[in-house]
Amino acid sequence: MSKIILIGSPNSGKSLLFNRLTGLAHKVANFPGITVDIGSGNLQALPDKQLVDFPGTYSLQAISAEEEVAVGYFENALCDPEVEQVLCLIDATRLEKSLYFTLQVIRDCERHGKPVTVLANMIDVLDKHGLDLDVEGLSAALYTPVLPISGRTGKGVDAVIAALSRPLPEAGVTRSHLTETPDAILRGEAHQLARRFGPRDDILIRTQHRLDSFFLHSLTGGVAFFVIMYLLFQSIFTWSAPAMDAVEGALAWSADRVVPLLGNQVAADFTADALFSGVGAFLVFVPQIFVLTFIIGLLEDSGYMARAALICHKPLRFFGLTGKSFIPLLSGTACAIPAIYAARAIDSPGKRLLTYMAIPLMPCSARLPVYSLLIAAFIPAQTALGGLLGWQGLAMFGIYFFGMFCGLLITGLVSRVAGQRYQDLPFVLELPPYRVPGFVPILRNSVNRARHFVTKAGKIIFTVTLLIWVLGYFPNYGADLGQSWLGQIGRVVEPLFEPLGLDWRYGVAIFTSFAAREVFVGTLGTIFGIEGADENMVPLVEHIQSSQLALGSGLALLVFFAIALQCVSTLAILSKESSSRGLALKMFCGYFLLAYVAGIVVYQVTGWFVG
Amino acid sequence: MDLSDVNQTLWSLQAGDCCEIVGYDDALAEKYRIRLMEFGFHVGERVTCLHSLAFGAPKVYRVSNTVYSLDDEVATHVLVRKEPAGE
Repeated sequence: MSKIILIGSPNSGKSLLFNRLTGLAHKVANFPGITVDIGSGNLQALPDKQLVDFPGTYSLQAISAEEEVAVGYFENALCDPEVEQVLCLIDATRLEKSLYFTLQVIRDCERHGKPVTVLANMIDVLDKHGLDLDVEGLSAALYTPVLPISGRTGKGVDAVIAALSRPLPEAGVTRSHLTETPDAILRGEAHQLARRFGPRDDILIRTQHRLDSFFLHSLTGGVAFFVIMYLLFQSIFTWSAPAMDAVEGALAWSADRVVPLLGNQVAADFTADALFSGVGAFLVFVPQIFVLTFIIGLLEDSGYMARAALICHKPLRFFGLTGKSFIPLLSGTACAIPAIYAARAIDSPGKRLLTYMAIPLMPCSARLPVYSLLIAAFIPAQTALGGLLGWQGLAMFGIYFFGMFCGLLITGLVSRVAGQRYQDLPFVLELPPYRVPGFVPILRNSVNRARHFVTKAGKIIFTVTLLIWVLGYFPNYGADLGQSWLGQIGRVVEPLFEPLGLDWRYGVAIFTSFAAREVFVGTLGTIFGIEGADENMVPLVEHIQSSQLALGSGLALLVFFAIALQCVSTLAILSKESSSRGLALKMFCGYFLLAYVAGIVVYQVTGWFVG
Repeated sequence: MDLSDVNQTLWSLQAGDCCEIVGYDDALAEKYRIRLMEFGFHVGERVTCLHSLAFGAPKVYRVSNTVYSLDDEVATHVLVRKEPAGE
């Protein structure tokens, strides 16, 4: 099968064109550097030809490790005999930025004898504003066919298909005019070509400037930012909730009907506890991932995301992060999984890595049941200042803030200790023009992202869930968790938790909460013989209070759960997104150790004061 | 063109100011300089500061027909010659 390479600088509309030509759904957004993977798909109109979508780079002169990979892939592809030609996409509205990269591509293709067709995208935007691109002049100057197209409207796409259908020029026909031209000369040539053949009016810039005057204004911009972020937060917490409840209800409904049909008790217990409760617990996140991806897609495609990154950059830079880290961190306060996906938009690999480090410390919703249980058990339900200040509410605020503070503190320290490693790209952010988002591609991408979560993370989550279920079920077939293999392991590792003032039962609950933090509550309920503890915590709270567990131990548990990365779904996605199991493992071990030491310190210090 | 203030940097511009890039200082890493030039921040290029945000946030610049935001870590190393107001 012959291959066609699609390449272009970031934010030139490459993924949208790829989707239009192949019918597949790649991530599409109006935010530079969004394509991270190399995607491929057969052309719908020419099924014998495969289109390969390369990551967008600003130049073939890489300045970061990630760009080196992308450029390396491209250089290797040019040596591949199956690659018959290259489509280089340029943004017709911002010609100079695209042309330097295009000239580099043409030069390298000439060296390898591969024909290039330049696709001048976003021609619909020029048409709308009555602007012209001198396509014929540019084509003659580049010695390369230039086709005006619109990836959004489909204008000119038929001409692309027709061009791809035609026989290729014979070897040697491709005219070489740039083969030996250095980059410095190409930069100057791009500048001249853009002036000669590009649109003459700057109406697009002026329109953008007017909107930026509102969205970047100290007052109106700040208000707009908070309103938009509030809506984003609502989308994660509130708008996803009905769909999450529906998934949970559907799973419970299915379990009620399937489990009684199973004659074998082990099979019934496995289906009920490991499949429907265990694996089902991660499926409830699917609507949240879908909604968040959709909203972020709207923000990215509208052009606002780049402005939000700009607004947040200064305070986050202090902690070694970038403005683009803000959305993932905010998402992390709901759930780390969509937050890790959201970090894809960070073009700097170093900053993305730092953002990955901070996300698991954001106070996600799975921590809420654990915090609620421990605060109810250890913090008195009293108020001060005439009822204005509740100690339990203050404790909840404190532990939430503590998690965020730890996340930023860690990235701040890491970036200062190993600064050079995380200083890979300068903060030069392209502010794309505002536009009405393309709903269909964003919807498709949201579905894809949800599917990616289920298929990629599902295997790891299922394996861990199965392991925990087997350890907790055998050898006494679920009769007593305390006498199970898990209970025995809990007793073996009990000395590990003694410095926190905890016995084996809490050790087992911490162990099972590796599947998901909220499992901690249900496991404690099971061990203490309290049914339905995860739905009604009051009996469990009373049991913990009457068990004489020290205040220091309760606070140590709070701090432990604020720091420890007790979530197999997060680790699975982290491993997939970073393409590094090592990173996920290091973060799990590192945060466990930090949580453990912090827990000991809290327990000891509380002991000095309380006795 | 009557040029003045040759010792300014891109970061010193306020909203509405225009300038011509005259060079980069030695403290700017080579790879950053290359990336800036790829974006169109060539020596001799005319740059307009479109927005100067509060609290030291990155500033917004127009170069050619593209708009970029640069923070002070980068913009302070781009040496410019500011155009007098009204040019």
